[in-house]
Amino acid sequence: MATTINANNTDGVVITPDTSGELELQANGVTKAKVTANGLQDANGNSLRGGSFRNLIINGDMRIAQRGTSSSSYSSGDTYLTLDRWRSNISTAGTWTMSQDTDVPIGEGFATSMKWDCTTANSSLSANSYLYATQYLEGQNLQQLKKGTANAESLTLSFWVKSNKTGTYIAYLFDVDTPSYRYISKSYTINTADTWEKKTITYAGDTIGALDNDNARSLDLLFWLVAGTDFTSGTLQTSWGTTVNANRAVGQVNLADSTSNYINITGVQLEVGEGASDFEFLPYDVQLARCQRYCVAYGGVGTYEPFGIGVETSGTNASIQLGLPVTMRGSISLTASNVGDIRVSDGSAFAAATAINIDQRGFQQVMFNATVASGLAATKACRLIANNSLAPRIIFTSEL
Amino acid sequence: MYKTTTNSFGQTVIIRTNTDGSTTSFFEEQDNTDYQEYLEWLSEGNTPEEAE
Repeated sequence: MATTINANNTDGVVITPDTSGELELQANGVTKAKVTANGLQDANGNSLRGGSFRNLIINGDMRIAQRGTSSSSYSSGDTYLTLDRWRSNISTAGTWTMSQDTDVPIGEGFATSMKWDCTTANSSLSANSYLYATQYLEGQNLQQLKKGTANAESLTLSFWVKSNKTGTYIAYLFDVDTPSYRYISKSYTINTADTWEKKTITYAGDTIGALDNDNARSLDLLFWLVAGTDFTSGTLQTSWGTTVNANRAVGQVNLADSTSNYINITGVQLEVGEGASDFEFLPYDVQLARCQRYCVAYGGVGTYEPFGIGVETSGTNASIQLGLPVTMRGSISLTASNVGDIRVSDGSAFAAATAINIDQRGFQQVMFNATVASGLAATKACRLIANNSLAPRIIFTSEL
Repeated sequence: MYKTTTNSFGQTVIIRTNTDGSTTSFFEEQDNTDYQEYLEWLSEGNTPEEAE
């Protein structure tokens, strides 16, 4: 119940008070907005918190996948597979295909989701088995949380999820800046198989442990999918505290126990305050640019895709310079694949690359060496292009 | 798995060969997560090869 203020066509305004401490604004008897202890809400209880970039998660709608849209046979490693910003970590938890999927909740505005599909089951987990999807957040983007102060803000996580496997799942926040680390775990329940459900979880503010105001990893959001007894044998730690492994993922179902299992997640939003607001859709170019702070991928677009221009420095080396589309976070790595399908050409010479390695980097410019077997000439201008192939990739990363 | 070489300015560049055959090259910079992994690999007693 709530006090109502109803503007209608017969009486003008009707005020019906009660003692709930809450207020509903109505038009002809239909609630349009609410004022509650959690602030201003729409008729469905969604927070009407305003402001741009309130979502601390980048690529929460799973639209950007520069590295590729599907990665199969994943059974080990701590890495980025497909979707930008979404890191995966697994150990002894079956084998999976992780992909950008088009299965989405209908009528909510999403086009893509993150899908995990179990291809080899593990129904008898090891104690230290785990599988989770995580996003690392940069400390200088989190100062508004006021973590480690008396004014620490609560955080609300909202997302859509669908799986054939119902039951308890764990989503948690992990502070990597504070000595001994700190985390808070919350459970949610997938109630109905094969049905999109929206989940909302609020985490209390943490008055201990400030997050560093820098460009390094400070806070992680984790979606547990599989957890062995090392992480489940205690009591779920639903308040901020130092790391106790056994309390991390208590109750988590084993999503790896059948090759029929899958899970889709999209619309992930983590925002300051209590109560979730509607998902903040960003323009594609804005979301892409936010991802490119951490990863810029070239290749796979055209069979003669240009990668850069430069100068031949010897008979076997060309120095290529490239401007990056955004300022990257910090130190940059260069990953090159299928380099034999990349050629250095200068109008007369035409040589396939045998190696491509970083040579210099700023935040917005990189220089790298393309090595060939022979055929180049020092001081000649050249270009680096794909050699009638979509296979070669050059990926610059500055991940957290 | 790891090799070291020098760039055209005499700085050390580390090159990792990945399981899919791709290579990742990077500098000795503390804020580089690939370099952090490399340091961990070194701490396990491993030694990089020198690039040709």
